Amino acid sequence: MKPIETKQEYSDYVDKKSPNSPILKNCFNAFWVGGLICTIGQLIMDFCKYKGMDETGASTVVSITLIAISAILTGLNIFNKIGKFAGAGSLIPITGFANSIVSPAIEYKSEGYVMGVGGKMFTVAGPVLVFGISASVIIGIIAVLFAH
Amino acid sequence: MKHIGKQTIQLDTPPTILQTASIVGPKEGQGPLAKYFDQCLEDEFWGEKTWEKAESKIIKETVNTVISKSGIASSDIDYCFAGDLLNQCISSSFGLRELNIPFFGIFGACSTFVESLCLGSIFLDGKAAKNVLCATSSHFCSAEKQFRFPLELGNQRPPTSQWTVTGSGAAILSATRKWSIYNSSYSWKDCRYGN
Repeated sequence: MKPIETKQEYSDYVDKKSPNSPILKNCFNAFWVGGLICTIGQLIMDFCKYKGMDETGASTVVSITLIAISAILTGLNIFNKIGKFAGAGSLIPITGFANSIVSPAIEYKSEGYVMGVGGKMFTVAGPVLVFGISASVIIGIIAVLFAH
Repeated sequence: MKHIGKQTIQLDTPPTILQTASIVGPKEGQGPLAKYFDQCLEDEFWGEKTWEKAESKIIKETVNTVISKSGIASSDIDYCFAGDLLNQCISSSFGLRELNIPFFGIFGACSTFVESLCLGSIFLDGKAAKNVLCATSSHFCSAEKQFRFPLELGNQRPPTSQWTVTGSGAAILSATRKWSIYNSSYSWKDCRYGN
């Protein structure tokens, strides 16, 4: 074997030797698990409408129910197994957001309720909230300036 | 002792590794090196309430093991060089404080143990100590919590991602005594088969 001299050669060597993530399998699992979660959401929505709720009320019930299920599954150490299996399929729906807040709350409980649970609860979801809210404020200002 | 070249120190009397000990977690106990460890744990908490307390207990018990295997009293150990991956080296400072040996907390991530051996050897060669204790520890769960994501977070790892060791290693360096494995009754116990 010829000696590895440049960074590029080393990086090619590592790429050749390291096993790749099974992308097709991951995509398939993400697709059907994500689809299943959305179907459950739709079922809850249809059930609420059937019971006489309006569109806004029904979609609020869907969010609350899925967040509750995801939070309980995180507490029972089941959600991380679903997440390892389904990846973005369980991460992208609102279930992933609930998991990203509940999991630090569990992990940092050992550091106390105020500075541990309270302070560290948003370590994972914090950047999403900061940039999501900032972006919506900017878009809102643009909308006010140009849409009227 | 003199400084030769750019990064090399030549010791006049090379120190001896008097004795070593290691305690590891369940995943390491399933690997091919299991028979070389003193103890393989079955529970990552080891009866403690937090990952940090468990890691602290692992390094404490490892150090107790190495001292009892070496046959020298802990009062004969002059200094202790130890570190881990956590903030303010809490697992080693809390694990070792009951020993009452002067403690140097060091941090070098993966290189902490070698760093402790280097510094300990220089202390011995400089005649600042007769015996020094070098130790390190890490815990997968406490390292994930400190550097990456909570364990309950449903994220995926690539097949080549690293896995922080749960375990601790310790060695006693001596300026005067010789390696005691030949005259001790200690034998490796194979913890793969639960004996």
